[in-house]
Amino acid sequence: MKIKLVRSGGFIPIIKAAEAEVNLTDQEFAGLLDIIKSSPNAPRVKDGNYYELTVGSNSTPVDLEKVPDEYKALFVKMKGDLKIVK
Amino acid sequence: MSDFIVEQGYKKFRGYDIEKKQLNFKIFKIFFVICNYVNNKLYFLSRTRIIKNIVSKTTFKNTNAMCKQQFNPIHCIVPPYMLNKLMESGNKKIADLAINSNFRSFRFRNDRSFFQKSSLHEKTILGVIAKTTGKITMQMTVYDCMQKTDFTGAVKLWDSKTNKKITSLAAKNVIKGGKASWDFYSQLFGRNSIDNKGLLINQYVHYDKGMDNAYWDGRRMVYGDGDGIVFTSFTSDIDIIGHELTHGVTEHEANLDYENQAGAMNESFSDIFGIMIKQRFNNQDVRKSNWLIGEKVMKGSKYAIRSMKAPGTAYINHPELGDDPQPATMDKYVNLPNTQSGDWGGVHINSGIPNFAFYITAFNMGGYAWEKAGRIWYAVLTDGGLAQNAKFVDVKNLTIVHAEKIFGINSPELKAVKQGWQEAKV
Repeated sequence: MKIKLVRSGGFIPIIKAAEAEVNLTDQEFAGLLDIIKSSPNAPRVKDGNYYELTVGSNSTPVDLEKVPDEYKALFVKMKGDLKIVK
Repeated sequence: MSDFIVEQGYKKFRGYDIEKKQLNFKIFKIFFVICNYVNNKLYFLSRTRIIKNIVSKTTFKNTNAMCKQQFNPIHCIVPPYMLNKLMESGNKKIADLAINSNFRSFRFRNDRSFFQKSSLHEKTILGVIAKTTGKITMQMTVYDCMQKTDFTGAVKLWDSKTNKKITSLAAKNVIKGGKASWDFYSQLFGRNSIDNKGLLINQYVHYDKGMDNAYWDGRRMVYGDGDGIVFTSFTSDIDIIGHELTHGVTEHEANLDYENQAGAMNESFSDIFGIMIKQRFNNQDVRKSNWLIGEKVMKGSKYAIRSMKAPGTAYINHPELGDDPQPATMDKYVNLPNTQSGDWGGVHINSGIPNFAFYITAFNMGGYAWEKAGRIWYAVLTDGGLAQNAKFVDVKNLTIVHAEKIFGINSPELKAVKQGWQEAKV
């Protein structure tokens, strides 16, 4: 499964993205999304960065602080791979 | 016999009691007359001092602290029920004095009530803004996140109490920028920190690995080291530190929504005060300043993050970022979705419009931006008249109202404000 992490927002609003191939079933991915999805009522951080996880055409706003330990390495790598979308 | 003794004893006791009470009341009357005499002599002096004392306090923790707040002994000593009794006295002189005293108490209470409710701007106009009573001191801490995202694991590098020497350049930068911001708000507007109640300023440096950002999360200011390619450390520019601290001020004063025009205004207030904090630190007037935000943070001498003088020109044909998307005028307003990827309706993009209005205003006024234009914008931010969902035109109208109040209806300052918004086509 190919997943895409998209970062937006910030002091200068630029879009950055990184992709990764992961061995996750649909059910596992749905479980992960359930844990890390952002609360719609979360206060907006001034100049903060925001992340979305995309599979195919479905994007979900996520909070990377909620990433479980077993997935942390994956997200650290994806954050490191983020490139500016021109 | 026994009844007689008891009755005589009772009369004797009652007589003594009555005589003692009458004596006490006579002493009290003399004391009251003396107090009123002193009161009349001290009235104007004490009234002025009370007003200054009142406006210097941002909060009244103890509402019963009346006697501590004023300098007129009679208002402390004579309780209201006694004063009411004396006002009904058969002795005209005593009654007149009591009525007089009661009237003054009424005026003191009204003065206190008025100054408690009045805005900083009104206090400034009345010339009673306090700067010295109850010395306010900056409280600040700086933490090192050691390139992690966990605040609880951050190490304290510095605090204003111990003021130890440090080697970290990022920490030195945020201390310098934090002090410049604190001095700006304190020395120019008598403001006591972000919340005007002495809030501890917490700054976190080296957040995350190569994070190309700085932000205010409602409790702290956070800075990344930059990716090293497009950006250097986000602590490199004082205007960015001032920008983040001002987000805290805005949150406590107007709490503008972070979306669409209100969000762009929120961003613009941060840019406006950020640039003035830098200009003041560098002793730059409106002509000397280049009006660039984040010129050191952005790598490459011809780039900056934003230009207030010419929005849309901070970076052009940048190899990674392309062109600066900021508009300078309302007819070029960028409609973006109110989503996180849409920058909440373009809050960092459309802020170019009110930024440009401020630049034109300040430039036409001349001198130092914080002396005239800054006063007007600060009054707008803090007077409570700004709705959370304010639009650019609302801010325009309020700046006109405050320019009129501060500088007068025929003043060149008012003309400059109007021209500023006109140039930005708001």
